[in-house]
Amino acid sequence: MFNKVLIANRGEIAIRIIRACRELGIQTVAVFSDADRQALHVRYADEAYRLGPAPARDSYLRADKIIDIAKESKAGAIHPGYGFLAERADFAEACLDEGLAFIGPKPSSIAAMGDKEVARATVASSGVPVVPGTEGEGSLKDEDLLALAPQIGFPLLIKATAGGGGKGMREVNLIEEMPALLHAARREAEASFGDGNVYLEKLVEGARHIEFQILADTQGNVIHLGERECSIQRRHQKLLEEAPSPFIGNDDALRQQMGAVAVRAAQAVDYVNAGTIEFLVDKEKNYYFLEMNTRLQVEHPITEMVTGIDIVREQIRIARGRQMRLSQDEISLNGWSIECRINAEDPFNNFIPSTGRISHLIQPTGPGIRVDMGVYPGFEISPYYDSLIAKLIVKGETRGEAILRMRRALEEYKIVGVRTNIPFHQHLMDSYRFMVSQYDTRFVEERFSMQDAEEGKENLSEIAAILATLVAHQQTQRAAQFIQRGERDTSNWKWVSRWERMNR
Amino acid sequence: MRYITTIEDHEYLIEILDDNHVSVDGVVYEVDFETLSDQPVHSLLVNGKSYEAFVSPRDAGWGVLLHGTRYILQVEDEREKRLRASLGGGPAMTGEFHLRSPMPGLVVSIPVSEGQQISTGDVLVILESMKMQNELKSPRDGTVTRLRVKPGDNVERSETILTVS
Repeated sequence: MFNKVLIANRGEIAIRIIRACRELGIQTVAVFSDADRQALHVRYADEAYRLGPAPARDSYLRADKIIDIAKESKAGAIHPGYGFLAERADFAEACLDEGLAFIGPKPSSIAAMGDKEVARATVASSGVPVVPGTEGEGSLKDEDLLALAPQIGFPLLIKATAGGGGKGMREVNLIEEMPALLHAARREAEASFGDGNVYLEKLVEGARHIEFQILADTQGNVIHLGERECSIQRRHQKLLEEAPSPFIGNDDALRQQMGAVAVRAAQAVDYVNAGTIEFLVDKEKNYYFLEMNTRLQVEHPITEMVTGIDIVREQIRIARGRQMRLSQDEISLNGWSIECRINAEDPFNNFIPSTGRISHLIQPTGPGIRVDMGVYPGFEISPYYDSLIAKLIVKGETRGEAILRMRRALEEYKIVGVRTNIPFHQHLMDSYRFMVSQYDTRFVEERFSMQDAEEGKENLSEIAAILATLVAHQQTQRAAQFIQRGERDTSNWKWVSRWERMNR
Repeated sequence: MRYITTIEDHEYLIEILDDNHVSVDGVVYEVDFETLSDQPVHSLLVNGKSYEAFVSPRDAGWGVLLHGTRYILQVEDEREKRLRASLGGGPAMTGEFHLRSPMPGLVVSIPVSEGQQISTGDVLVILESMKMQNELKSPRDGTVTRLRVKPGDNVERSETILTVS
């Protein structure tokens, strides 16, 4: 059993894992790139070692170096966090080969779920519904895909077999436009994943993205911790998540049914540790398996808030070979939790990433608030890694209370030095459609605008005008003083002595 | 000191009477204005009501971020206002426009070439930063006169990428 863990990640998730280790009395080893020498995870860990230059391929993706550091520092396990090496079966395999525990699933489970076609076929054979599409493994030629398309029906999606993050994905409305789109999707998939294979999937319209958190121990116990609603996305990037899902709401039968299916999907690949089964759910409450994330998710805290379970601590316990303490009957959801992802992006300028030094920071605190973050005042946000700088998580008794609390917390949150998407979340909290939970995965892109003023919202134009005028005035005054200083005919020292003589 | 402050199409005539009083279109308010710890964060008490906002200079004018809403304003004194009116007003739609990189990043592709006619909203360059690809679009019609970077180049923040005239 290990007593020291190397965290092969950075930012807020590295800190989240260090915190869990601390609470368990486990020693921690951080790794860092040249851009992160001053990062919080390096400061919080018991030990820290340099990986290499700032780009991820020279640092956080250097599996060989990370394993060497683990061995030299005598860490017994590696926690990969999310992103970077988290879903690389070869890395998990290499850890095991070197006698290191990998805090995550078996390499075979990662591989099975990593190939989207294999994943679909595997779960479908154990009775899990999948989105209708091209079945079976292997690569289909364009002619075959064109022949199969009308059977699936339009609109449909072309997706990359090795895919993720929306790359190599194209929406097809007519068969006529399909050859060109196939070509484009293959080219993009080839460039992104080195694999040009694609498959077809029916486009579920008005879909909600709902996922189930899974925990599985090495003794074969598999449970789910309820669902998370992640339909608020932009370009396939989640921006806000809530638990439970307002769409499932009081339909406990649906929740238990989907949860049981999620457990079955995990069992189909002999899953161990924490993972997430993602579903698409249509308006008629038909649900389809989308994919499995074989790692800790960014949005895991909202499940922790409503279940009271520390998922990272459970991950470590499971990796130590312990049996899970809780059975499915003992899991219940209490209250409502919402997470806003605070990204260094400018919501008023097409969500362009923003870099720079954080000069001033005030965190929201008070009842029901949790902030997971990896930055501090004086820290430089570099362009090398993703733009997530913090996660603001709230809990309320009800959804209404959680929304009001989130609105309050967002107004308290001050980050100066980089632009953030906090105003986006503030607009979302004021949006009528969000409040009544009438949204799907395309809501942000198609029916939400930062310019829309929601009815009943106070117009503060006059206050803004006063503020801008006072700041402009202050600046003009300062500039004037600066010019005048040099105009004084005598030095300040002479003025002082004359003044003193006058008062004698 | 008198200022004309414009927000969208609405003009406010704002006079700063003394340290604690301003008049907006003739209505006098008692104000208490503080800049917080040398940051662009300002606290304003207006007749006892408390507001806090980010105020930052923009290319032309000011941006005020207040309760999650961004207001874009012009603040001018009477002389500046007359000067701008005599020049025909508005941001110039002629002359050269330099597209500057809003962030450090990697040039992924440049879908335009020198001499090409472009319209407002056309994608000029695709830049990768923080693992995301970002399209930089043209704010106006014109011709691409000079490309200063090529795909694969790294650019710094504020570096000129190309020129439109």
